[in-house]
Amino acid sequence: MQEKVKDAPSSQFKWVGTRAVRPDGVDKVTGRARFGADLAMPGQLVGKVLRSPHPHARIRAIDVSAAANLPGVKAVVTRDDFKDQPSEFIPAGEMMINYRDVVRNVMAREKALYEGHPIAAVAATSTSIAKQALKLIKVDYEVLPHVIDVVDAMQPGAPLLHEDMITAGVEPAPKTPSNVAKRVEFGHGDVAAGFAQAEIIVERAFTTKPVHQGYIEPHACVASVSEDGQADVWVTTQGHWIVRAHCARLLGWDVGKVRVTAAEIGGGFGGKTVVYLEPLALALSKKARRPVKMVMTREEVFRASGPTSGAHVHVKIGARKDGRIVAGEAELKYQAGAFAGSPVQPGAMCAFAPYDLENVKVVGYDVVTNRPKVAAYRAPGGPISEFAVESVIDEIARKLGMDPIALRLKNAAKQGTRAAYGPKFGPIGFVETLEAAKAHAHWRTPLQKNQGRGVASGFWFNIGGETSVSLQLNEDGTLSLTAGTPDIGGLRASLCMMAAEELGVDLDRIRVQIGDTGQLGYNFLTGGSRATFSSGMATVEAAREVIKEACKRAAKLWELPEDAVEYMSGGVRPAGANAGKHAPMTLSDIAGIAGKTGGPIAGYARINAHGAAPSFATHIADVEIDPETGKATVVRYTAIQDAGRAIHPSYVEGQYQGGVAQGIGWALNEEYIYGPDGRLQNPGFLDYRVPVASDLPMIDTVIVEVPNPRHPYGVRGVGETPIVPPMAAIANALADATGVRFTDLPMSPPKVLAALDEARAAGTAKM
Amino acid sequence: MKAPPFAYLRATSLDDAFRLWSAAGPEAKLLAGGQSLIATLAFRLSEPSALIDISRVPELGGITEAGGAIRIGALVTHAQLGASELVRRHVPLLAEAVPLIAHAAVRNRGTFGGSLAFADPAAELPACCVALDATVIARTRSGERRIPAAQFFTGLYTTALAADELIAAVELPQARPGERSTIIELARRSGDYAMAGIAVRAKIAGSTLVEPNVVFFGVGDRPISAGRAASALAGKPAAPATVAEAQAALGGDLDPPADQHGTPEMKLHLARVLLARALDRLIGHAGARAA
Repeated sequence: MQEKVKDAPSSQFKWVGTRAVRPDGVDKVTGRARFGADLAMPGQLVGKVLRSPHPHARIRAIDVSAAANLPGVKAVVTRDDFKDQPSEFIPAGEMMINYRDVVRNVMAREKALYEGHPIAAVAATSTSIAKQALKLIKVDYEVLPHVIDVVDAMQPGAPLLHEDMITAGVEPAPKTPSNVAKRVEFGHGDVAAGFAQAEIIVERAFTTKPVHQGYIEPHACVASVSEDGQADVWVTTQGHWIVRAHCARLLGWDVGKVRVTAAEIGGGFGGKTVVYLEPLALALSKKARRPVKMVMTREEVFRASGPTSGAHVHVKIGARKDGRIVAGEAELKYQAGAFAGSPVQPGAMCAFAPYDLENVKVVGYDVVTNRPKVAAYRAPGGPISEFAVESVIDEIARKLGMDPIALRLKNAAKQGTRAAYGPKFGPIGFVETLEAAKAHAHWRTPLQKNQGRGVASGFWFNIGGETSVSLQLNEDGTLSLTAGTPDIGGLRASLCMMAAEELGVDLDRIRVQIGDTGQLGYNFLTGGSRATFSSGMATVEAAREVIKEACKRAAKLWELPEDAVEYMSGGVRPAGANAGKHAPMTLSDIAGIAGKTGGPIAGYARINAHGAAPSFATHIADVEIDPETGKATVVRYTAIQDAGRAIHPSYVEGQYQGGVAQGIGWALNEEYIYGPDGRLQNPGFLDYRVPVASDLPMIDTVIVEVPNPRHPYGVRGVGETPIVPPMAAIANALADATGVRFTDLPMSPPKVLAALDEARAAGTAKM
Repeated sequence: MKAPPFAYLRATSLDDAFRLWSAAGPEAKLLAGGQSLIATLAFRLSEPSALIDISRVPELGGITEAGGAIRIGALVTHAQLGASELVRRHVPLLAEAVPLIAHAAVRNRGTFGGSLAFADPAAELPACCVALDATVIARTRSGERRIPAAQFFTGLYTTALAADELIAAVELPQARPGERSTIIELARRSGDYAMAGIAVRAKIAGSTLVEPNVVFFGVGDRPISAGRAASALAGKPAAPATVAEAQAALGGDLDPPADQHGTPEMKLHLARVLLARALDRLIGHAGARAA
């Protein structure tokens, strides 16, 4: 058994590192896979939500009597059906939650705080009756002035969303309320002293727009509450234990009475880590005593589920002429949507994380505005602050006439570097990604007319957390593996491969499923790039438990001490002095006699996975700009990232490519367009432009492997880092091509054209 | 959203279609490929009492050559149009337009006649028909009417079709010797509605443009013939100065509305860029490009 990192080449493994056939593939391509909206129950009702048409309004009264009396309507719920919750911030993976706000976000209480905020929900025997019922609900609103933009929201006199919001993290505490929920600060050294040594200082302001996770599958669930209070929920989610916890808390029910089953998931990207419909469906089902199914429309997804923050970021970096950075400073203003809890804290922590800096200071503000509450989105907070920092670093390299990779190498964080956010890094692969970029053919290929090349790096922490996995040895020697982290990025394939590797059995001997909340101990969600890392670690532990038990059973049979039996290549044999005394037995042989040797054999790992390690990336983008229309097209892209070890390289490459695709949308096209009335004008994929396949080049990938010593196979999370570098890589490419520094996302044709015209007039444009 | 309730009737012949249509009354609509109509139903932008499915009416299909013209049946899909050898040879502008229309799934179902009847101002085929001096063949139960494409599009999503008329086919003159055409559009994303587009057809004599037709889409309420720009170009060698003059003349031809893509000024700018690029394609790099 290997206790340490297997740091030999991947070829020493039979399964790990191969491109095995994915166990979820057939179901997905044949349509057998059951997604959130695919489940139907006998007698189920349709649940629909009445949403606020106003971005900000006090709710004076809600009259549901006409709706409740409509034939076919079986239940109506409003704020009166949910108990208020105390204000208390609780860590929830990469984000924080406060149940005082969660209960208000699923159902507005005193005020509607954004267009689309739920006001009431009905359950009826058909969709049309449910919709008709919504029209019969009378809401008495006192419409209030609203604020959409983060900078406007921070101004004195801005409309207040929460009249009691006193900025946290400021000493002494402010005496008056504002829309600033929190101030955070990270850093070390003395930035003033650092800047005093600088021979070049670049300082710029950046803005980014809120962007949606854009999962193809909208939020959907079915809830069923029986007369004796047993509740079941089937739902598309990244974490069904989280759904259980939130629902039990909001409804005041025992956790053990709620069982949640995760459906196959059609994308999440962080957006399916919170509850929207589930508590409403449960409350409706309890009242109606029938199952209730709820599915959001795409419009509801855009108006009422979390995008990530839009932000205003100010960055100042000083360096010496040799490229050594002497100080870095940033101020981040992230809009959180209607409730506190933007990812400004992780954004502040990772702003300068790739660099070894003596003097660094980052201040962040969490600001509420009349928009839907933000949710986690792939490396929440990181892409925004790192876009700004990586842009300024590029500008310094250009001004110094230095190769931008060389400048990064000169300042790169390494093992032992004290990160800008505090801890010292263990073994990390940042330098390796930069060296791989420098060596890549892409970096040396000449550009064509109107093209520019940009490079940018990125960092994400990755997390571990509570995880349970069970592994049963079946009577014929096959194995059933049950994990509790929904499979978004290839979890089932990766777990199978690690289990097969440990057990020395063929991959097709193991079937893996995602268990419900009644089948395993607590599992934190699939997020923070933790699933393959944490569930993989637990799977290895469970497999080793099976191996230990198999040895024990053989020892019993052979009447040998346990340590006289060894496990090798899928079976047991006597070891040491007893070698050869008995014929080896396969795992199937052991399984066949399990009943006679002590009963069923299984491994059950319950861990709090520690030792998650960051993943760094360096991306190269070639962008072609149409000098007359301002349209930017990404013509070549290479994503290089440290995976620790790629269990299934195709999935790892898919994560890199997917992150880049979303980053390209964020950089060039995606934005929420609000009218002066505070209403969203583009709540659909027609006008909210995620890239389509024909907009993207082939995204080339390079997997760098600097193993994580704290994982049995060296795994680092890989899912989030890939969305961090694209915005800066593309902006840097635009700067290379045009001579203009773009600081305002998205870099859409009207903006690029206007900036080009301005630069042409000033004589600074390169085209 | 889901479509409002409607009756569905499938016609088996042209006669059958007219019979069903008149029986269903004025609130009924014809369904061909459904690529625009079904979306408008889903958004509840229209609430027809009945849909008369004409997609299997044999008289409305086919691409044929007759008397110096190419006749394209209303039910010919965009994909069929793009794959037709007759179209490629005799009306190459249409073949060039096909890949610009939405995505493959839409091109497999969407029809030529449907695109014209829907009259989306940002659509490619209506602009091509105007640029090509096409004739729309409209049919009623009792007869046929020939409508020049330039008079067919009367406004935003509106056409010259009478309430009881359908498009049977479109006739397009075959390209004459020396004639060249091209279509270009600018879209934020592949398959999106164009921010601006141009379809141009002209005869080229040396470097001189003869009888140019310059038609824009996505910049007004219908395909817009840029008459002033065309006059500035007609009969002159396409030198940079001429192109610049035509670009300037576009200010009198176009009055684009603002939308999410940008201001009227930006759209006019894009139209001018497109004009130069289209001329560049027609006469090559020899002399057309304005600085």
